[in-house]
Amino acid sequence: MKDFARRMVGIDRRLIFLLVAVAVLFPLLRPFGLPIKISPEVNAVYDYIEALPERSVFLISFDFDPSSKPELEPQGIALLRHAFRKNLRIIGMTHWLTGTGLADSVFSKVAAEMGKERGKDYVFLGWSPGGGALIISLGQDLYKAFPSDYQKNPTHGMPVLEGVRNLRDVNYMVSLAAGGAGIEMWYVFGKDKYRFEMAGGSTGVIAPGLYPFLRSGQINGLIGGLQGAAEYETLIGQRGTATAGMDAQSATHFVIIVLVILCNVFYFVLRGEKGRSA
Amino acid sequence: MIFLKRQLPLAITFFMGTAFALQYYIPHPVSEDAITNVSKWMQIISGFALLLGIASLFHVHAVKIQRQVPGWGYSLVLYVAMLGTIAVGFWAHGETKVNGAQTGFGWMYDYTMVPLQGTMFSILAFFIASAAYRAFRARSREASVLLAAAVMVMMGRVPLGQFLAPWTWDVTQWLLNVLNSAVRRAILIGVSMGSVALSLKIILGIERSYLGGGKDQ
Amino acid sequence: MIVASILLLLLTGGAALAAPPSLVPPEGFRVLDTPNDAGKSLSLVWKASPADNKDRKVEVWAVESPSADFKKVAEYPANTRYVKPGDFPWWSRPVGQGDHYVKLSSSKAFPIEDGRSYAVKLLVREGDQEVWSDVSQAASYPDRFNTAQVNNLIFALAFTGILLASIAAARRNPHVHLRRIAGLDAVEEAIGRSTEMGRPILYLTGSGGMSDVSTIAATVILGEVAKKVAHYDTTLKVPHRDPIVMAVCQEVMKEAYVQAGRPDAYKEDSNFFITDDQFSYTAAVDGIMLREKPAANFFMGSYFAESLLLTETGAGTGAIQIAGTDSDHQLPFFVTTCDYTLIGEELYAASAYLSREPVLVGTLRGQDFGKAFIMGVLVFGTALATVGVVVQTEIFHYVLDLFKDFK
Repeated sequence: MKDFARRMVGIDRRLIFLLVAVAVLFPLLRPFGLPIKISPEVNAVYDYIEALPERSVFLISFDFDPSSKPELEPQGIALLRHAFRKNLRIIGMTHWLTGTGLADSVFSKVAAEMGKERGKDYVFLGWSPGGGALIISLGQDLYKAFPSDYQKNPTHGMPVLEGVRNLRDVNYMVSLAAGGAGIEMWYVFGKDKYRFEMAGGSTGVIAPGLYPFLRSGQINGLIGGLQGAAEYETLIGQRGTATAGMDAQSATHFVIIVLVILCNVFYFVLRGEKGRSA
Repeated sequence: MIFLKRQLPLAITFFMGTAFALQYYIPHPVSEDAITNVSKWMQIISGFALLLGIASLFHVHAVKIQRQVPGWGYSLVLYVAMLGTIAVGFWAHGETKVNGAQTGFGWMYDYTMVPLQGTMFSILAFFIASAAYRAFRARSREASVLLAAAVMVMMGRVPLGQFLAPWTWDVTQWLLNVLNSAVRRAILIGVSMGSVALSLKIILGIERSYLGGGKDQ
Repeated sequence: MIVASILLLLLTGGAALAAPPSLVPPEGFRVLDTPNDAGKSLSLVWKASPADNKDRKVEVWAVESPSADFKKVAEYPANTRYVKPGDFPWWSRPVGQGDHYVKLSSSKAFPIEDGRSYAVKLLVREGDQEVWSDVSQAASYPDRFNTAQVNNLIFALAFTGILLASIAAARRNPHVHLRRIAGLDAVEEAIGRSTEMGRPILYLTGSGGMSDVSTIAATVILGEVAKKVAHYDTTLKVPHRDPIVMAVCQEVMKEAYVQAGRPDAYKEDSNFFITDDQFSYTAAVDGIMLREKPAANFFMGSYFAESLLLTETGAGTGAIQIAGTDSDHQLPFFVTTCDYTLIGEELYAASAYLSREPVLVGTLRGQDFGKAFIMGVLVFGTALATVGVVVQTEIFHYVLDLFKDFK
């Protein structure tokens, strides 16, 4: 037993990698479809969008790059589906240069699915450098910050932007963020100055760090990681990749829990042996 | 030369830092126009920083290839990839799609950039498992608390855990909203004070390391 | 006859009692320039009435020029638009708490120009009844200072003063007591281990630029590590993501070797630039770890998703790992994979502790005063707010408002 415990404590990492790979793959091939519980922070985002009148202005910032696509793209798709269903006017943009193509393809895909027209129902402004400076620029004059959209169409006179001069005219804003240039920056340079309501969507890693902002009301809701995306898909009644991914995430978490428990069992067996021999 | 390298940047930093710190308290349109213009300048300068990054990359790896230092082959691969992407990007005029059809630049983005970045990030899932197996041992009281909290949150954040032990969801929500928020707030306040202190030191010219060079700056 | 009279009286009296009370004009209605704004808006204030209810409507009528007619610009239910606690600080409140306040901003329907006087009146309607208020006039002007944020400015100036005083005090006496950070003992151990094993030390300064506190702290600690390494002739490798940070680190290391009396031991290529892309840099550093198998890895500065990729690879090579970061979202990964972790401000304190630079020591002390003040306000403010709720008084808001952030 002790030899076995000693071998298991120093097990080759690649075996652990293999177990994780199986845990991820198997549920994707044979989903088990468990119910998804909705958390209050995700519900808050849903309720706010649900209560917005038609043709309200909704700004969504895709502040991530392809590395965070698995977690944040499903959030973006679910939010866009909801917003299009509510006939909101959607303004899209990004602070991450390498995420521009990704964001534009999400917009095109969901808009085509919901029968929405670029320029009339939504506009994707694209990327512009500056981070906080860009937000301030948007807050003063959207048309100076983005004279044209991602497809080089002039923003002035676009039907979707009618009556929108700057960030003060935005009714709701969500930043889907993977790190540095994201939710905190939007709050500090955007909401604090221009007083629009905002929420955040983030990767699972940075979500716990955003709870202070949620608790103090600086953001009114938070969609955290793939679980948050799955909850939002459940709320809008349209399941997608996030819900499918939750089975894989469930299995992986359980594999890790079992491994951690086993590791502790072996550790205590060895510790007991050391104690006896001392 | 010393004036241009030291005194002038310090003077500009002091003036602009003080002016825009005070701007926060001045609602007058003149103040708002000032911040709008300066934001535009910052956006333009950020654009230049991109060029600077690319120029540095070209220079450093060119030297490595020239001197054939160990690992210069990787520098050559980097050069070929960079120049190839730039050439295709210019050829496609920076567009990823034209009239619904994907350009070469779009193809490179979708079939190299996206999978490569996704792959690097995905490695984290495997590394988390191996790190957890190695590190989550109940060596001490604190480690045991960490272990218990980690197991509960891992269960509470997935449907399978919520199904098998519904109480883990409530515990997870409490941990995230109460304990986690409290501790993060404490760290946030401390780190923010550090940032404010650094900003004040930079504005007042006490901290000069951003000018480059050593202690005597 | 008497019975008939009594009956008549009861009927007419009953009818009088059943009739709704006649509307009265809003009490204390006036128009004023909106305080603390950029102009082009007016504020309307009037006293709350117990008779305000959702069926009663208040219409705002305004006129742009003396020759024009009044036109309706807004309408609200009478039981809305109250001044709530937290809307205004007591020192710049335009009207009493609980009274009505409406901000009329310039719009396409009713443009407001600065410097021009506008006449406004209210129409209160309920059922068939309606009553007009008196006409009030005011002009809009942009304000030069936001008085609602004067508390914020005072605290900012006070903190600046404390910081400067602490730095000045530290310049006079740099030997201020600083608590020993546990991870710093491990630095010597790590360097000794690398020297014995004849393997290099890998030092990373993180993802931030020179304007990040954590990067500055990382470069200071690099200087101290370099001084120790210079004595032992151990190889120190510092791969970079930022060319400016690399330039600073080159100077810091060169000076450290000079101070240690070993300028000849300094190698120009100790600091080298890889790339500024997150995962490309990570892949390159992982490659260095796997090929050269450093005996000690230092991860100082700010990090993002690459942290676990770096530390887990390093752990796999058997290196001793010391981390220090203010990136709280990466702390769990550092704590589980590194032997020692400096958390948040411990990184700043470590740089001050090692270098004993008066500026760093003084800054740390100033920050400590700031944190002590915040902790005191938290405890005191919570106690006051709780007592206020228990005894049902709002008098403590005069103190609590001093510490709130108003816009």
